[in-house]
Amino acid sequence: MGPNGRARVRFGRAELEGNAGEPLLATIARHGWPNLVRSVRYHRPRGPFCGVGDCAGCLVRVNGVPNVRACRHRLRDGEQVATENSWPSPRFDVAGALDLVFPHGVDSVHGLRRPSWAAPLYQRFARRLAGFGRPPTPAPPTAPPPARTLRADVTIVGAGRSGRAVAEALVHRGVRPLVLERRPVPLAPTTEGGPVAGTELLGSATAAILPAPATAEPAGGSGGLELLGFDDAGGGIRVRTRALVLATGSYDAGLVFEGSDRPGVVTADLAVAPLGLPFEEVVVVGGAERARQVVERLEENVVAVVAPAEISPELARAAVERDVPLYPRSRLVRGVGRGRLRAVELGRRDGSGRFRLACRSVVLAHRRLPNAQLAFQAGARRRWVDVPGAYFPVVDALGRSDVPGVYVVGSAARPSAEAAPTPERVAGAVLGDRDGGPAPAAVPPRPSEIVPYYRELLREPRRGKWVLCPCEDVLLDELERAAERGYHGLELAMRYTGVGTGLCQGRYCLPEAIAILAVLERRPPAEVGYVTQRPPLTPTPLGALASLERPEPSEPRP
Amino acid sequence: MTLARRDYRTVVVGGGVVGLYTAHHLVRAGAGPVLVVDRGRLSAGGSGRNGGGIRQQWETRATIRLAREAVAAYRGFASEFGHNVWFRQGGYLFLADGAAEMARLERVRNVARAEGLDVRLLGVPEVERLVDGIAPGACLGGSYLATDGTLYPYPVLWGLLEALRRAGTEVAYGVEVTGVARDDRGRLAGVLTSEGRVATGALVNAAGGWSGELSRRCGLDVPNVATRHEILATEPMKPFVDPMVVRASDGLYFSQSMRGELVGGLTVPHPPGVDGGVPSSARFLTSMARALLTLLPRLAGLRVLRAWAGFYDDTPDGLPLLGEDPRLAGFVHANGLGGHGFMLAPSASRRAAQAVLGEPVDPEAREFSPGRFLAPGGASRVEGLQLG
Ligand SMILES: Cc1cc2nc3c(=O)[nH]c(=O)nc-3n(C[C@H](O)[C@H](O)[C@H](O)COP(=O)(O)OP(=O)(O)OC[C@H]3O[C@@H](n4cnc5c(N)ncnc54)[C@H](O)[C@@H]3O)c2cc1C
Repeated sequence: MGPNGRARVRFGRAELEGNAGEPLLATIARHGWPNLVRSVRYHRPRGPFCGVGDCAGCLVRVNGVPNVRACRHRLRDGEQVATENSWPSPRFDVAGALDLVFPHGVDSVHGLRRPSWAAPLYQRFARRLAGFGRPPTPAPPTAPPPARTLRADVTIVGAGRSGRAVAEALVHRGVRPLVLERRPVPLAPTTEGGPVAGTELLGSATAAILPAPATAEPAGGSGGLELLGFDDAGGGIRVRTRALVLATGSYDAGLVFEGSDRPGVVTADLAVAPLGLPFEEVVVVGGAERARQVVERLEENVVAVVAPAEISPELARAAVERDVPLYPRSRLVRGVGRGRLRAVELGRRDGSGRFRLACRSVVLAHRRLPNAQLAFQAGARRRWVDVPGAYFPVVDALGRSDVPGVYVVGSAARPSAEAAPTPERVAGAVLGDRDGGPAPAAVPPRPSEIVPYYRELLREPRRGKWVLCPCEDVLLDELERAAERGYHGLELAMRYTGVGTGLCQGRYCLPEAIAILAVLERRPPAEVGYVTQRPPLTPTPLGALASLERPEPSEPRP
Repeated sequence: MTLARRDYRTVVVGGGVVGLYTAHHLVRAGAGPVLVVDRGRLSAGGSGRNGGGIRQQWETRATIRLAREAVAAYRGFASEFGHNVWFRQGGYLFLADGAAEMARLERVRNVARAEGLDVRLLGVPEVERLVDGIAPGACLGGSYLATDGTLYPYPVLWGLLEALRRAGTEVAYGVEVTGVARDDRGRLAGVLTSEGRVATGALVNAAGGWSGELSRRCGLDVPNVATRHEILATEPMKPFVDPMVVRASDGLYFSQSMRGELVGGLTVPHPPGVDGGVPSSARFLTSMARALLTLLPRLAGLRVLRAWAGFYDDTPDGLPLLGEDPRLAGFVHANGLGGHGFMLAPSASRRAAQAVLGEPVDPEAREFSPGRFLAPGGASRVEGLQLG
């Protein structure tokens, strides 16, 4: 660390300075809107998108390790940071010409196969374009950081609002839960407050692998669940626990339109994250509470609020106070601009009008989706919920999933419209209370909003690329081709197009793909199905996994 | 799913690469109508879960011949079926980390050379050139064949399926075969399915990891065992390793896909059997990571993106079962291909189709005769290179 907690890093040819421990992205963003990387297939410009460490929009190379997320990496003095997948720079990348040469993309299933003698050339070319960063630079072999094994009766994943509430209720009953939190602790001041007294809180710890109990190894006699993860230093974490409470929260969904992958189009998670991105001329997409938070956060930088449906009175009030015009019942048709968004084109949903709004950013605050992947990985049953348009784990009135010992609470478990059990009742159930009390009243199902939205949008004429999956540059056209050829259902569409196989593990593309497939295949989204949730649910370093390897049980112990 | 007819000349059980290829050979020979049934969906079996490794280095001459024919088929696949399978001939490199392995690779080299393949034994410096960053002392050398490679499996399935459907062949997913019906002379007369009974004179068992189960359902005891195999893919990187790399001692293997992901697996002990679905295990992830880092320690910071598992069927001698079962006329095996069913599918299924058509089998295909396990003492030799 430098003097006064400052840190200096080399960034390409420049030197950057910031507070040691702050997100690297914040340091970089002080010098303007960061365009750090190009996309894999067409080398389209990409910028930060999700702000929570899941997308492929802020990848950089740090000290010879490729594909590091700048939004999650903590600044350390003396580091070497470089951009990836672009030459000479992400702003002017020679290979970016491909995007212009192939305005409708390349059909890799049927194309690039003639003449047959040219196949090796196509292959070499395609390989060079793919793959973000160069492989890790050979480093002097260092022993991997040792793995940590933690045991707890009750473990909570996520120190957000619901995780903290259940933790408090458990502490109140004399139990000391282990709490894993992906963000560093002490937590940066958030609306959720600081750590809960009486818990064992482990920060910078990402839970990644929760094998279904049937496939887990006999857990050393202790029974129960085994959860694997890693910390920000790359060390492995193994947790043995009897009960696991997933309080992994929710995230802001993506949205597909022409140019939706342009730098400047971001989620509300990014807009409210303490990353200091220089927002200006922002169009906020959404009609309710999340959009209101964004308007309050970005204040005078907001130039318009666009909502696919109605706009709530609270949001309208917040916008009108700031002289922000409102566009209810509208859709985003096109993002204009290459290196960075310059404008968006909007259409009224009833077809009555078309507008162009100058803007530098679009903030997506229209739907929040559950982070329930760990539960699905463990084999929890799922149910499709039309609003917001996502799969939720099936849980009972006490938060119990159908995987023994696994509970899901908060926005990971149910959409906000559904009544949730109180933290006290969840804590009671975790500790063995049988009495569930009255079940929360069921919420009448609402018809899907996102499916009709996409049904209308798909009628729009298409000019440029509509990128469905920004991690892998999968285009909407490819999904249509899959449907046309009879590869129906999400599983087959994923194999046919590669949608959902990128770095974000499908978080941003699969929910949209389901809604779009429902339109293309003319059946309800629930029938489009889902894909197997494969471990790990977040990219996990090989070093961390290796550190968790145990000797064969039969091997003699030294 | 209802079937179009009640009688077919041949029913192929299994809509994976072997079943689809067998049907393709039959249809091309004019031996329709053929029905392909599969109880799952397209690519649900091993054919939708494999690493796409295609090699010709084997200890068994007959297998080398199958492999060479298959390589030729995959080279021509794109023009024959209109689907780009991205068959990249980046070579296969087997690494020996002990004297016994080195001797085994030498044997392979000799057999392969006798078959006209340019397999070369490499020393450590040549290995280091092929595998940038390999740990010092990680191997004694290896064997290498430049025309081996990898392909992208799914387009093979799509190309075959679409060609079959264009030719009017019925491929029915979601239909399960539960047994066979015999005529009064004990020959095959029909197939029992979840959609009722279908009359046919020939059944091809191309049920992959479930082929043993299917044979037994039809009253035929076979030695095939279902093996679970797991594999993972890392984040994509720029190309840095061309060949598929296989360590002969523990079966660790990896290659870099067209998308830049490192895709690899490891033989980890699993209880055999097909119960409990095909979820991945934590044990595989940790063992695989450990094994990979002993070879390429520089990858410690690289992240694993996803892991998955699948089933294939192994035989006691590591050789497939191809041909008619001596105990039931009309029942043809196209199975026992182990972890190599994709690379051998085009040619192995041709042998199965020949058996259905009653054509004379190639002399070397006798090594694959399903009757070999019935003879006292069983099979005589074992393929030693059942890795990667
Ligand atoms: C992780 C992994 C990696 C691999 N890597 C490679 C590799 O690199 N190279 C290589 O060559 N091979 C590899 N293999 C092996 C290869 O995938 C298989 O050998 C090959 O796909 C077998 O094809 P198949 O058509 O025989 O079987 P499958 O693709 O498994 O198809 C069998 C089908 O039969 C159906 N079926 C089963 N029973 C019934 C029934 N009673 N009624 C109706 N339908 C039924 C199933 O639903 C299934 O779809 C790998 C396998 C795995 C699992």
